[in-house]
Amino acid sequence: MQGNKLYQSQELAIKYFTVAIILFGAQLLFGLVAAIQYLYPDFLFNTLDFSIARMLHINALVVWLLYAMIGAVYWLLPDEAGIEVVGIKLANIAFYILTAAVAVVVLVYLFVQVGPGKESTIWFITEGREYIEAPRWADIGIVAVVLVFLYNVYATVMRGRQTGILTVLMADLIALAGLYLAGMFYTDNIAVDQYWWWWVVHLWVEATWEVYVAAVGGYILIKTLNANRKVVEMWLWIEVAMMFGSGILGLGHHYFWIGTPEYWWEIGALFSALEPVPLIGLFVHVLYDWGKERGKGNEIKNVPAFAWLTVETFGNFLGAGVWGFMHTLPQINLYTHGTQWPAAHGHLAFYGAYVAIMISAMYIAVQGKAGLERLKMTKAGWWAISLISVGVLLMTVSLTVAAYTQTMVERGMHGATWEGYFAAQSNMWFLQGIGWRLVTGLAVIVGYGFLVYDLITCPKHQPVEEGETAAAAA
Amino acid sequence: MAQKVSVWTSNRFWRRSATWITGVASVLLILLTFDSMAQMKMGTAEDIAKKIDKRIPSPLVINYTIEYKLDPYRGHEIPIIGGEMQRKEGGIKSAYEKKEKFFGRDDYTEEEARALIHKGKLTIQAKNCMDCHTLLGNGAYYAPDLTKAWLDPTWETLAPAFNGKEYAMAAFLQDPPKMAMHERKMPNLGITEEEAKAVVAYLKFMSAIDTNGFPRNFGKIKGAVDARK
Amino acid sequence: MFEPCRDVVCSFWSYLNQGPMTLTIFLHTLIVLPMIWIYFDEKKRLERGDIPNE
Ligand code: HEM
Ligand code: HEM
Ligand SMILES: [Fe+2]
Repeated sequence: MQGNKLYQSQELAIKYFTVAIILFGAQLLFGLVAAIQYLYPDFLFNTLDFSIARMLHINALVVWLLYAMIGAVYWLLPDEAGIEVVGIKLANIAFYILTAAVAVVVLVYLFVQVGPGKESTIWFITEGREYIEAPRWADIGIVAVVLVFLYNVYATVMRGRQTGILTVLMADLIALAGLYLAGMFYTDNIAVDQYWWWWVVHLWVEATWEVYVAAVGGYILIKTLNANRKVVEMWLWIEVAMMFGSGILGLGHHYFWIGTPEYWWEIGALFSALEPVPLIGLFVHVLYDWGKERGKGNEIKNVPAFAWLTVETFGNFLGAGVWGFMHTLPQINLYTHGTQWPAAHGHLAFYGAYVAIMISAMYIAVQGKAGLERLKMTKAGWWAISLISVGVLLMTVSLTVAAYTQTMVERGMHGATWEGYFAAQSNMWFLQGIGWRLVTGLAVIVGYGFLVYDLITCPKHQPVEEGETAAAAA
Repeated sequence: MAQKVSVWTSNRFWRRSATWITGVASVLLILLTFDSMAQMKMGTAEDIAKKIDKRIPSPLVINYTIEYKLDPYRGHEIPIIGGEMQRKEGGIKSAYEKKEKFFGRDDYTEEEARALIHKGKLTIQAKNCMDCHTLLGNGAYYAPDLTKAWLDPTWETLAPAFNGKEYAMAAFLQDPPKMAMHERKMPNLGITEEEAKAVVAYLKFMSAIDTNGFPRNFGKIKGAVDARK
Repeated sequence: MFEPCRDVVCSFWSYLNQGPMTLTIFLHTLIVLPMIWIYFDEKKRLERGDIPNE
């Protein structure tokens, strides 16, 4: 097994992937703590309270996905453009700055946790806004690093080959970065606060990240299946049209109850109801390409990457499309808003749409680094993908049972009061749903162990088939 | 004419369509945002004096009683600030008249009220409230929604022992485990007396935000029985 | 015929909101209709053959 000559940019991608996978582990660990606390509230009480565990859980999630997203771009950029990334030295420095900043933020979250009710807390400890708690100084640092990243991408594409995939990525990444600015200010008006907060959260996960996934998914299809570039790029533009067409105004499904005008009911309901359509498109596209290449007798060049991509399209459709649609109409959302519903949906959506494809991209890098013509699925790889996927799916189902119970008991029967809240939390159906979440969570964590092991060792443990040994011997 | 062509499989057609669609959707979102932002500006003392309803009212609402009632005109529950009056069009609306003492006063000036909720909002962020609770329904699901916490019947039952529910809430916030009502306790977040008062002011102010009827039937249904415990 | 607006403040958008579909049908039309023009424009160009092969 000899190593392959990589672009420097691809070496950098591997660094990004490495940090990403470590943070994924941290995410799962803090998720586990939070899940235990649901059942045993005294667990780590006053040491690592639920709020801190959950904040670390979801922040680690967002940050590792961003790391992996940046990593995947640094991986495919020189490959697509045909040249080394412009400004790669700067890119390396930016990586270390970002990682140092993330480490400091995490340490402050863990050991300082909360601050006094003053501006200085917002600047140096926590911003206290779900998903984007990072204090203001870190926000500014993130923006600086992202500017370097954008410079790398733009300068490289200007000089190299400009493919359709890169065109989409260029437009998308600038929107993605720009949206972060919408979450970087303070206001006393909580309605206005949440209005802009959703610009970051929704317009990330339901617009710019989705388009990113469509673009990178296209690249992975070309790499694993030799899919026809022209067809892939045509699909890509169709997906961009449908995702932005539904996702941008679909933002309205978060503007039903936060002090916003009533016309958002209608806009949010009907635009977001169309959001699943491109996700079906993504799914059909992958299966179609697979069938076509199989028909030609072509082999998949990277089975784990392709398998994870398939999980992505299916999970994206199910988690974002189906579970999202289930609570997106205002008549339903009036009762599900603020219950375990968004949590159930959030798990499968984030997993299906983003976690799976980033793991797929990591396998592409593993193959590239090892310089293998083909990468096959190992036993550990199968355990990883099965345990994690089935685990998250069942976790979502468990949370959905809890969510139904909460919606019915707290919202429907008890009129949403404090008493109603606890009546639902102690309901047997709710408790068992939460219990199964813990069990399935443990399965995911075991799967994670297999995944890390497989990412490191799979090039060495490639299963050899009968014919191949014979050929090698001859 | 020239050869038979297929526009549907032309990359250019889809690229142009994608660009167009994205552009229009973005422009529409920006226009809608301007409209919404205008409607979501925080109200002022003048609005209250003129009885003009604001989606996000002036912080001066802490001087008034707040209720949450079904308005047949709007078709859902709305905050009723300072007692109710008839709408011209039928239905009810806030009268902005009935005052209520808040920590012993009902004459907070606009500056004082604004300063209070400023402190309150900062504290809410500094203590990560949203990572256990939901506010306006957004946040975490480990603890009750706080959108209408000020109106929660639980505080009415605690109020007499503390000479008013604002005192009860402030006492709770300063040492939640001491007043814990369930096995799942709120931790002590080091909230000072001043911060606690500001947070309670914020909760009162938040309960007066017009949330288009969320949450539905809040506090209306009492003694409901679960299908199975 | 027209549904009166019953929101706190009535703006242009609230008036377009005449029931469960009107406002979004309007917006969707605004978005999708011009694609017909794009379609025929592309068709013309393709037929003229003045599009470089991509
Ligand atoms: C990959 C794409 C998606 C991801 C990662 C995602 C993730 C999430 C998450 C994490 C939340 C909860 C936010 C919170 O913590 O308050 C949420 C809320 C929501 N999502 Fe999605 N989502 C996706 C796509 C969709 C789609 C396509 C739809 C609709 C068809 C949808 C409908 C909703 C609705 C209605 C809510 C609001 C729940 C509420 O607050 O009442 N989502 N989403
Ligand atoms: C790939 C795996 C995972 C992903 C993508 C993920 C994602 C998320 C997201 C997006 C949320 C926020 C939900 C919301 O606000 O609506 C969340 C919350 C949470 N997650 Fe996960 N998670 C994963 C794995 C786990 C595991 C393995 C556990 C437990 C063992 C876990 C436990 C929790 C808990 C307890 C919460 C808090 C929900 C609440 O506020 O009540 N998660 N997770
Ligand atoms: Fe959304």
